[in-house]
Amino acid sequence: MRALGKAASDDDRPLIERVRRGDQDAARTLYERYFDRIYNYVYARLGRAEDAEDLAIDTMTRSLTRLDLFQDQGVAFSSWVYRIAHNATIDHYRRNGKVKLVPLDNAILPQTADPAELALEQLSNEDLREALGDLTDEQQQVLILRFFQDLTAAQVADIIGKSVGAVQALQHRALGSLERALQGRAAN
Amino acid sequence: MPEARRLEALAERMRAVEPVAPSPGAKIRGWNLVLAAVAHSATRRPRISVTRLVLAAAAAGVLLVAGALAASADSLPDSALYPLKGVLEHARGTFAFSPTDQLTYHLELSQTRLAEAEAMIARHRLDLAGRALDGLDNELEDAAQLVQTAKQNDAAAAADMENRLQQAIATHELQLAGLQAQVTNPTALSAISRARDRAAAALQTAEKAGPNGKNGNPSQSPAGGKGNGPATSAHPTPKH
Repeated sequence: MRALGKAASDDDRPLIERVRRGDQDAARTLYERYFDRIYNYVYARLGRAEDAEDLAIDTMTRSLTRLDLFQDQGVAFSSWVYRIAHNATIDHYRRNGKVKLVPLDNAILPQTADPAELALEQLSNEDLREALGDLTDEQQQVLILRFFQDLTAAQVADIIGKSVGAVQALQHRALGSLERALQGRAAN
Repeated sequence: MPEARRLEALAERMRAVEPVAPSPGAKIRGWNLVLAAVAHSATRRPRISVTRLVLAAAAAGVLLVAGALAASADSLPDSALYPLKGVLEHARGTFAFSPTDQLTYHLELSQTRLAEAEAMIARHRLDLAGRALDGLDNELEDAAQLVQTAKQNDAAAAADMENRLQQAIATHELQLAGLQAQVTNPTALSAISRARDRAAAALQTAEKAGPNGKNGNPSQSPAGGKGNGPATSAHPTPKH
């Protein structure tokens, strides 16, 4: 269902070399490959389309013009791009303070007869994204990368610089925190 | 329902959220900007086939730029190169990825701002000294926030980071106290006093547990009080 798809880090290396030699077609390919993903990631963090557009453009510009710095990072290009997007987001928070997430259209979900799952089905995307805002920065990052961006735990580990085990533990705690945040919101 | 199943259901619910696509206009605007930046970046590369004269000119240009960059690294707020220093510092911060690297980055900048404030006070540029001291405090507050966040995720790393922040603030405190003893101007005294207060406040921020309590346990009160680290009292603010 997702246009985001899986990271194509193995395919990136020849393109990166071409961009280094000034090949604009290769730059275009990398831009097309990552722009929507980065936009989506930033949007999930900020909840504002205008800011997400600006930061996604800024991230792609930095990524494709500072490839000299990428050489020394020892991570996949996709991870490097996400790290730049993350830092840009944190910078944005520092400059502007955290902003309230805007409402999103509700997802259309299948019906089920299980009452235990009914609450989740009635949960709007807006509720979910607002509750995400109650989590720590790192917890938000892991949940967004794992479930909105559909990345594997290994890919997330590469991005945030932790072990796979640490990411899995963080993910578990983050889901627990999210559940409690949703329960708290439902009670209010 | 068992916790594992509940959390898996929650994860599935998150996976069901459709990705939000950027507007076509934004994508085109973005590509135009990226293309311009990539083209500009490419033109800065030296070409193998250029003549010796062009090579010499390019080398001179590189030396000039490198000289300006090197000079800007030590420039002071009243220098024409100072804005370039800010750009370089910002660029360096973009590539500080780990919390430890980011802490190092902010502590280095805090020391730089303090040195600038001292120089500006010596030159009687109190407006610029005040800005440098504000910058110092902003860096310390950012560093304190990093420590606070680290406490939720990695207690050992957080303890080390907190220790480094404490040492840095203690050094700054000594320097600020020495500076305060040297000046008589009320505006400068007030700015230094305010900087000392904010540095002490940053330390208190770092000593607190994170927003969700230690180890990310949200059941703890967000106002869970100070940590168990060594208490540091704010310095007495001199009366003017």
